[in-house]
Amino acid sequence: MIAGTPTPSTVVPAGDAAIRHGLSLRGMIRSEWIKLRSIGSTWWMYAALLVMTVGIGTQMSSSTSFAWLGDEQPTQMGMQAAAVNAMILGADINVLVVGVLGVLVIAGEYNTGMIRSTFTAVPRRVPVLLAKAMVFAVVTFLVGILSLAITVPMSIGILAGNGIDVRLDDPHYWRAVIGSLVYVVLVGLIAFGIGAILRNIAGGIALALGLVLVAPIALGLVSGVGPQLVLRNVSLLFPINLGRALTAHPGYPDFAAPGEPPVRLEGLLVLEPWQGALGLVVWVVVLFAAAVVLLKRRDA
Amino acid sequence: MIEAQSLTKRFSTTTAVDGITFSARPGRVTGFLGPNGAGKSTTMRMIVGLDRPSSGSITVNGRPYAEHTAPIHEVGALLDATAVSGGRSARNHLLAVAATHRIGARRVDEVIRLTGLESVARKRVRGFSLGMGQRLGLATALLGDPATLILDEPVNGLDPDGVVWVRQFVRGLAAEGRTVLLSSHLMSEMAQTADHLVILGRGRIIADAAVTDILADAGGTTVAVRTPDGGLLATALEAHGAGISFPEPDLLSVNGLDSRRIAEIAAQNGAVIYELTPYAASLEEAYMALTRDDVEYHSAGTPREATR
Repeated sequence: MIAGTPTPSTVVPAGDAAIRHGLSLRGMIRSEWIKLRSIGSTWWMYAALLVMTVGIGTQMSSSTSFAWLGDEQPTQMGMQAAAVNAMILGADINVLVVGVLGVLVIAGEYNTGMIRSTFTAVPRRVPVLLAKAMVFAVVTFLVGILSLAITVPMSIGILAGNGIDVRLDDPHYWRAVIGSLVYVVLVGLIAFGIGAILRNIAGGIALALGLVLVAPIALGLVSGVGPQLVLRNVSLLFPINLGRALTAHPGYPDFAAPGEPPVRLEGLLVLEPWQGALGLVVWVVVLFAAAVVLLKRRDA
Repeated sequence: MIEAQSLTKRFSTTTAVDGITFSARPGRVTGFLGPNGAGKSTTMRMIVGLDRPSSGSITVNGRPYAEHTAPIHEVGALLDATAVSGGRSARNHLLAVAATHRIGARRVDEVIRLTGLESVARKRVRGFSLGMGQRLGLATALLGDPATLILDEPVNGLDPDGVVWVRQFVRGLAAEGRTVLLSSHLMSEMAQTADHLVILGRGRIIADAAVTDILADAGGTTVAVRTPDGGLLATALEAHGAGISFPEPDLLSVNGLDSRRIAEIAAQNGAVIYELTPYAASLEEAYMALTRDDVEYHSAGTPREATR
């Protein structure tokens, strides 16, 4: 056995670690921000989010006009709804991007094993999950705000060229446009919750996109009345339809079918915007509650 | 100071750790030794709360790891060098872990220097060799300047220089008064690093003693005596309390007497001796003897003599 001839107290100098701070939410948030920004794929995904919001928003704006009405004039409500329609279509694509990113942010740590370093540093686990979700939601929101700040003025300018004058004092316009971003962020958190529960990238992405895209489409194929109407009403509870409610504009019938009375199927529910938002929040809360329970129970 | 009390971990079909009680004290290197599958890593994961004990408790400095306000200042853990995102640079990995306890970039650069990672600190971890991964794991463990370190197979994958470096490093940490719990399945590694050994087999403690005591218990010294007067000498030696065996017709293997005493007894009895060779029992043999019944996966057809 080697006796060991260490030089006292210089084997590992304490250095800056001599000042000891306890674990803090502030520290965890900073840690999660470092993790998020130091992975290249994060920025590719956010770049895609920005490009698609701007690209789809401007493309839809330039292809929207009421020229097909001929001599008839569209109502102001119809024009407002047209502007909303041009702005929010991108959201349905963006939810796919954040659906993937939300799963990656958390399940990626399980795939690489990083989660063991994370939980060794924060053995209580739950705060770090919340810090991670918060950083992801805030960054996604900020990238979304930036995308909208670019797209809204371009969209309004392009629409004006097509004879559609958007009134900016319309609260429904702003609720729908901001609502489309809230929808994207909340779907990101739904995917995050799924990723935290499944702890697996492939399974997480499959389930998240299946929930967001496939299941409502499958249910949407069902039409008609009677028992099938119940299924259609149930499909309203899927994130994509909750998002539709959140981004709906009351002038939509004037945009889609000007001059005709709105068609409403007897017994088919229509959710208010706030109900759409609430429904999405319930999804997030339920998934996070399950994730937290499992997180406390399972071995990492 | 690490203390385990009746610590048990059951997985669905197996009991990985079966009611073990031990402690690792400050100022010495406690070697955690056992064949693969003995429960070493599971125990270490329970220390930092990655696995939850099925029953029993394990504490660090008097309380469960998760109850410390600044966990990484209490315990530095190198549990597995792959607990890193490959797409991130080593420095960013360290910055992220450090940030949880508001440890700054200066300390990060300090541990990078200490572990010799300067040249690769800004490269992606994905391209790291196992040895560099181990150094990064050690750097992560040292971030909080903890008084307790748990290192699971830290020399795994290191080159010979790295092995010597880790050994001296670990000895130095203990000499500073830190608690070091070091696991290995290699006795030779432990013999050069540890002061105290906790030997595990199939989830149970087989031995918990100072390295020197384990050596002594292994039977001390055996002396090989080559003589044409085997029968005569064996009788005489047995009268003095020695244990005798005959590996070959004219060769005696003598336990319990040293070579000087054997020579004296041979002279008194007029026995001729051609050769007298003392063999110290190695720690390796002591370990083999202790764990023979507790190895999960025996390799067939390797008689124990082959290791001599």
